[in-house]
Amino acid sequence: MSVAELESREIQLEAPSGLGSEAWRRLRRNPGAIIGFIFVLAFVFAAVFAPLIAPYGPLDQAKAGILDTQSPSADYWFGLDELGRDEFSRVIYGARYSLLIGVVSVAVGLSIGLLLGAIAGYVGGFIDSLIMRVMDIMLSVPGLLLAIGIVAALGQGLWQIMVAVGVTNIPIFARLLRGSVLAQRESDFVLAARAVGVRRRVILASHILPNAISPVIVQGTLALATAIIDVAGLGFLGLGPQDPATPEWGTMLAGSDRYLQSAPYLAIIPGLAIVVSVLGFNLIGDGLREALDPKLRGRS
Amino acid sequence: MLRFIVRRLLLLVPILLGLSILVFVFIRALPGSPAESLLGERATPEAIAQVREQYGLDDPIYIQYAKYLETTVAEFDLGVSIVSRRDVTAELKERFPATVELALAAMLFSVGLGIPLGFFAAKRYGGIVDHTSLVASLIGISIPIFFLALVLKYVFAVRLGWFPSVGRIDVLIDLEPRTNFYVIDAIIARDWTALRDVLEHLVLPAVALGSIPLAIVARITRAAVLDVQNEDYVRTARAKGLSPRIVDSRHVLRNALLPVSTIIGLQTGLLLSGAVLTETVFARPGMGTWLTDAIFNRDYPVLQAGILFLSIVFVLVNLVVDISYAIINPRIRYSS
Repeated sequence: MSVAELESREIQLEAPSGLGSEAWRRLRRNPGAIIGFIFVLAFVFAAVFAPLIAPYGPLDQAKAGILDTQSPSADYWFGLDELGRDEFSRVIYGARYSLLIGVVSVAVGLSIGLLLGAIAGYVGGFIDSLIMRVMDIMLSVPGLLLAIGIVAALGQGLWQIMVAVGVTNIPIFARLLRGSVLAQRESDFVLAARAVGVRRRVILASHILPNAISPVIVQGTLALATAIIDVAGLGFLGLGPQDPATPEWGTMLAGSDRYLQSAPYLAIIPGLAIVVSVLGFNLIGDGLREALDPKLRGRS
Repeated sequence: MLRFIVRRLLLLVPILLGLSILVFVFIRALPGSPAESLLGERATPEAIAQVREQYGLDDPIYIQYAKYLETTVAEFDLGVSIVSRRDVTAELKERFPATVELALAAMLFSVGLGIPLGFFAAKRYGGIVDHTSLVASLIGISIPIFFLALVLKYVFAVRLGWFPSVGRIDVLIDLEPRTNFYVIDAIIARDWTALRDVLEHLVLPAVALGSIPLAIVARITRAAVLDVQNEDYVRTARAKGLSPRIVDSRHVLRNALLPVSTIIGLQTGLLLSGAVLTETVFARPGMGTWLTDAIFNRDYPVLQAGILFLSIVFVLVNLVVDISYAIINPRIRYSS
């Protein structure tokens, strides 16, 4: 082995581990986050492979001629719903809706919120005040009420609740990123970059944003959890998919109220599905917060 | 201090104006003309002409906005409900107390239980109480309010029959609504059977609505107590021989409650949103059921008034929290 090769090896060994790899190492040691990952993986797996896992279609009657609820049994693990449809299959298919709606609505809120927040934080001045006052006004309407108002304007339906929940997320991300960018803008390494003549755009893209992004990752994960709850809430109020047969968890819960006496499992099972997926995202979010906290860096 | 309050009050003006613009735009963003939205599908041409005149819908948009402000703010005229044909203001007076009653009861439950829980969890840091409360609070924030409400309703109303499952008061009880806060009405009327019934109707919804704030309050209290416990002044107090109970109540808990009070304020929005869902599960005639019914019936005057009103309440509560925070926290009091 040549000297040069040896040297490069040593340099590699000494290279400081990045924030990402260190965070990943800490995350793997957090039992809560591991449980969260398992829950979320199960949730995503169910959503992606629903047709392979579910024994019946979400709208199929499992047993010909049965148009009534039936308690859980060996054949139908979670029982049959009021129209004789297999509850287990419906819950599995429901994961698709919750995942899709959650991801889309967070993506809407995140992208618009990040853009507004980064502009407000980096440009400052009048634009900053204008953007942030509008965000303040949006935050002054309690989240679910804002979503209800938007659904009232757009009409009921699946994409409408995605937009509604997404819009309620915008001010949260905008505020978060603005605060983060502002804090980074005054930091020493940005000053240093400016002093050696790095261009503004490069400073924002390669110095400020990467350092401002970790609270956004944490908030994004937690927002997924809230989005699933909010969407289910809108579905529960009957504002979700227009077709009541859609196996969306919140919509399923809304229909179960009438059968609480005879078939409580129709309420409990979709409810537990929501709790497990939300808990999963919350656990990961908490774990990420601890793993990405720069104050805790170097300790593990 | 006075300057701080005046500043916060002034900041309120643009927010409230912005809110009114938001709601104003909302009504105009609806499909169909605003006059039709405000009157419903079966409106007569005369009624439409009258509303067009009243809100000046033929005028330029900025005059329309001025007229809208004049009718809603100056005259407090929120229009007429499309469904019930009653004044929205009158309905608001019946619905709002029901929701406030529920929100206050939920708040009482969450604070009354959450602070001691968080305190003991911190005192026995790492112990079984601490671990259980951490896990419980994590699960607490992951449960949708309406699911918890359904489970409580199933177990304690449907199965055990300990509490009534729907409504605010038994239909057979005749209680004269003076304030529409049934608890207060029952006390004014000295009708103890009614009071008992009203409270029984309040228990399950309040527990359902208060559980998530309970989890959050307990978590924050725990963190705050852990923080404060290691402060120098606590060590000084202990060193000078004060009894642990006095140190806990005067030095630790008092200072730990500062962050908790802000959190309680922040929970108001959650309580208002949650009340919408809780009321639906327990069929309580409050703001929540009012608004959801309004959506299904396209009752836009009610929607507009309800959302605007609840948002104003939310903003005002946050203002009160900010000010009271400044009053109890000497650091803010003296810096301004």
